Amino acid sequence: MHFNDYEADQSRLYNAHHGDINSAESKAKVKNIWKITAYLTLITLIEVGIGLYSHYSHAMGGLKMTYNIIFILMTILKAGLIVSIFMHLGDEVKSMIMMILIPLTLFIWFIIAFMADGAFWLWINENVYTWSK
Amino acid sequence: MSTVAIDKKQAWGGGQSPFQLSYGKIMMWFFLMSDAFTFGAFLISYGTTRFSSLLWPDSNEVFASFPLFAPNGGAPMAFVSLMTFILIISSVTMVLAVHAGHCNDKKGVIKWMIWTIIGGIAFLACQAWEWMHLFHHNGTLWGAFRNGQAADVVPHLFNHSALEAFSAKEGAEIAVRESADAGHKFFNFFFSITGFHGAHVASGVVLNIIILLNTINGTYEKRGHYEMVEKVGLYWHFVDLVWVFVFTCFYLL
Repeated sequence: MHFNDYEADQSRLYNAHHGDINSAESKAKVKNIWKITAYLTLITLIEVGIGLYSHYSHAMGGLKMTYNIIFILMTILKAGLIVSIFMHLGDEVKSMIMMILIPLTLFIWFIIAFMADGAFWLWINENVYTWSK
Repeated sequence: MSTVAIDKKQAWGGGQSPFQLSYGKIMMWFFLMSDAFTFGAFLISYGTTRFSSLLWPDSNEVFASFPLFAPNGGAPMAFVSLMTFILIISSVTMVLAVHAGHCNDKKGVIKWMIWTIIGGIAFLACQAWEWMHLFHHNGTLWGAFRNGQAADVVPHLFNHSALEAFSAKEGAEIAVRESADAGHKFFNFFFSITGFHGAHVASGVVLNIIILLNTINGTYEKRGHYEMVEKVGLYWHFVDLVWVFVFTCFYLL
């Protein structure tokens, strides 16, 4: 492709598959979309169910922590389904997927560092600055 | 939707997109990444504040109302589950619009874009009700419970037995002060973060309406493809994605 073509006509880069909406391939894709919808709904229902059970059974301490870990794992699972299927990131070339995902790993540091910071503030207020009580 | 294998030696040699994407779509992804860090910073600062607090409101006590059925509480999680479901469904109708666009099915795009817009407006209406309810019921917007304002509301935001235990251990005066302080912080974060998310939904609805009008006018039919639907779809799914995290942080954890 000539350089000028690339600059002038971006739409040539748009190489979506043009099938017929009533084709078997198209119908299979729509079916897959509804399947993912069912998963997302089911995961949300499980989350709400555990949340309500945790509330009414007065879960505390280690049990509540276990529920929280389940919530976080389910959240990441939902996010993965939305990004890879609904946003079609799973269909892009590998270098594109990596370009999006690698910077997001900064969140691992971001979350650990700032939660630790909050916990440290609590500790210092409880144990060092007794005037705060 | 690239399925064609690219030559690795030529991919970065110029004259073509190494990602096999138009710059518009790549820039939408970059924008969404920057937005992810903005929302991430908001939610992480919420977490930091929560970790540094002796007490924290119980979402099952704060968000327990449902219009008509349980206007004064007693239905924890119910309304927010409905809001989450609405946003999931509007995300699905958006994927179906994108899919119709891939197949150059103008009627399909119009139909699913209209449903997506309806879903977005329904979500915003739910959020408006939730905010209005919190304001009328608790008197809370930003800056709640300062200088002893609405002090009678504060104990109802917390898990009853946890607040009792704290009060017995630390003394009633400290329990009153700490619970008002935690409630104040909680609502500042709640209204800031759901407000910022709501602003994203509102601008998403506006963008969806523009794309719908262009589709009806035949702009994309003339262009030969519906990539704009895909770009606005990325934004819309991102808004749903953010809600997944807001839902976990504010309502579940």
